[in-house]
Amino acid sequence: MLKAAAKRPELSGENTVSNNSNMAEVKPVFREVLPKQGPLFVEDITTMVLCKPKLLPLKSLTLEKLEKMHQAAQDTIRQQEMAEKNQRQITH
Amino acid sequence: MGSEMEPLLLAWSYFRRRKFQLCADLCTQMLEKSPYDQEPDPDLPVCQAAWILKARALTEMVYIDEIDVDQEGIAEMMLDENAIAQVPRPGTSLKLPGTNQTGGPSQAVRPITQAGRPITGFLRPSTQSGRPGTMEQAIRTPRTAYTARPITSSSGRFVRLGTASMLTSPDGPFINLSRLNLTKYSQKPKLAKALFEYIFHHENDVKTALDLAALSTEHSQYKDWWWKVQIGKCYYRLGMYREAEKQFKSALKQQEMVDTFLYLAKVYVSLDQPVTALNLFKQGLDKFPGEVTLLCGIARIYEQMNNMSSAAEYYKEVLKQDNTHVEAIACIGSNHFYSDQPEIALRFYRRLLQMGIYNCQLFNNLGLCCFYAQQYDMTLTSFERALSLAENEEEEADVWYNLGHVAVGIGDMHLAHQCLRLALVNNNNHAEAYNNLAVLEMRKGHVEQARALLQTASSLSPHMYEPHFNFATVSDKIGDLQRSYVAAQKSEAAFPEHVDTQHLIKQLRQHFATL
Repeated sequence: MLKAAAKRPELSGENTVSNNSNMAEVKPVFREVLPKQGPLFVEDITTMVLCKPKLLPLKSLTLEKLEKMHQAAQDTIRQQEMAEKNQRQITH
Repeated sequence: MGSEMEPLLLAWSYFRRRKFQLCADLCTQMLEKSPYDQEPDPDLPVCQAAWILKARALTEMVYIDEIDVDQEGIAEMMLDENAIAQVPRPGTSLKLPGTNQTGGPSQAVRPITQAGRPITGFLRPSTQSGRPGTMEQAIRTPRTAYTARPITSSSGRFVRLGTASMLTSPDGPFINLSRLNLTKYSQKPKLAKALFEYIFHHENDVKTALDLAALSTEHSQYKDWWWKVQIGKCYYRLGMYREAEKQFKSALKQQEMVDTFLYLAKVYVSLDQPVTALNLFKQGLDKFPGEVTLLCGIARIYEQMNNMSSAAEYYKEVLKQDNTHVEAIACIGSNHFYSDQPEIALRFYRRLLQMGIYNCQLFNNLGLCCFYAQQYDMTLTSFERALSLAENEEEEADVWYNLGHVAVGIGDMHLAHQCLRLALVNNNNHAEAYNNLAVLEMRKGHVEQARALLQTASSLSPHMYEPHFNFATVSDKIGDLQRSYVAAQKSEAAFPEHVDTQHLIKQLRQHFATL
C-alpha cells in the first residue's frame, strides 16, 4: 500500500490558469488528474504463462536426403512384405 | 545397330548425369554378358571398369556427407565415458549449456530444447539428438519431441538403409563381402578406393572397411593421407575417438585438407572438448582463410555452448564469404526474432524465400515474423501456404500451434481454441499446445480441465518451465498448496531465474511457516 504523493504545486493547475490569462487566445486546457488523497493499491497478480511462438528450424540437405532415403527404404521393405504375403496366399 | 552406343560409355554418361539406377542396371547387364566371378577378371579391363562403375553408382545412391552425419543412439548417450571431465568447468563443455553469460534472450522469450539449449534456426542430423539427463528421459523423450528421433543405436539406421538397398536387388548383394580377398584389392589402389567407399557407405560394414583401409595404407607405405582419413572415419564410427584423432592428425601432417580439419573437430566435439575444437577451427582458418565450413563450424560450437552473440558474429562472417548460406541466414533470422526484432528477422527469411527455398517451415516463420512485425496482410496467407506445404502431421501441428498464437494476439479466443485443438489432433504429444490450451481453459474458468491439460503438458516435456509454473499457480488458487509447491520447485529447476516462480515459492513457504 502506498500513499499518493504529497503536494505537487507544479501540477496543481493554478499556474496554468494564470499563464492563460496573460495570453490573448484561450486554449482548451487539459489537466492531468492526480488523486492527492486516499490510499493507492498495487496488487501483483500472478498470471499464467503461454508457451512462446515457435520458429521452425529449416532442415539441412543431408537431413532431407537421409529422411528421403529412410522413407524409400521403408517403402521398399513394405512392398516386398506385401508381395510375399500375396504369394503365400496364392500358394495356400 | 550402328546407332547404339557403346554400353560402357552410356553407363558413364548415366553416371555423370546422376542417373545412378540406370547406370547400375546397365553395368549389371554388361557384367552378366561377360562371365565373371566374385571379382573382376584382370584380363578384361572393360569388365573391371563396369564393376567399378557399378560400385560407384550404388555408393552415390546412398551417399551422405560423413561430416554432417552424427547421430547418437541411446546407448552412446548414456554409456558415454569418453568425456574427460565428468564435472567440467563452466564454458568448457557442451553438456552443461551453461548460464547465459552473453545476454542472449532468456528462456522466457526463446523456447529451449530438452537438452536445455535455445532452439536453433537450422536442423542438422547432429542437432537432433540432445543429451538427456536420465535414462528415463532418454527413453521417453524421443517419442514426445520430434527434435529427437527414436533411435536405439546410431548404427541401426544405417543397417536398415543397407538392407533395404540389398532387398531391391533380387539375386543378393552385388559384392559378397565375406568372400572378398581384401589383400588382393589393397594392391590396386584405384580399385581399392572405390571398393572402400562402397563398403563404407553402401554396405555400412565398418569393420570390413577398416580392414581394407588398414591393408591399403600399409601398401601405400603410410604415405597416402586419404587412407588415413578413411581409417579415422571408421574409428569414429566405431566410437574409438582417440584412435581416430591420431589418424586425422597424422593425415593433417601430410596434407592439410579442410575435410580433415572438420573430421578432427567432430572427434573433439564427441569427446566434449569444444574449446579444443574451436582452436582447431581457428588453426584451419589460418591455412584456409575465409573457408565457410570452418567458420560455420565455429558458429555451431558457440551456439551449442549457448554463446549466442559469438555465434551470430561468426554466422555473419559466414555470410560475408557466402551470402547464400542457408544455415547462417536461418540462424541469424531466428536470433533476431527472439531478441525482439521480428522485422529484421523478416528480412532474413524473405531472403531465403528469394533464394528459392519453398517449404512449410519457411512460410511458418515468415507468418510469425509478419505478425509480430505488424504486417498483418501477409500473416494469414503465409500460414495458409505453410499448412498446404506441410509434409507430415507434426509440421502441421506446429503451424496450427503458431496460428493459435496469432489468434490470441488478435484476441479471438474462439479461433485460438480451435487452432490449438487442431494442433493436438495432428500431434497428440504437442506439450506447448496443451499448455496454451490450459491457459485458455483457465480464462473460461474451467479449472479441472486446465489442471488435467497442464499435467499432460508437464509429463510430456518436463524440461519446459511453463506447464510446471502454471500448474503451481492454478493449484495455489484452489488451495492445493502441497501440489503447488512441488510444481513450483520443478519450474524453478527448469528455469531458475524466473521471478514469478521465486515469488510463488516464497509465498508458499510463508504459508507453510504460519501453519
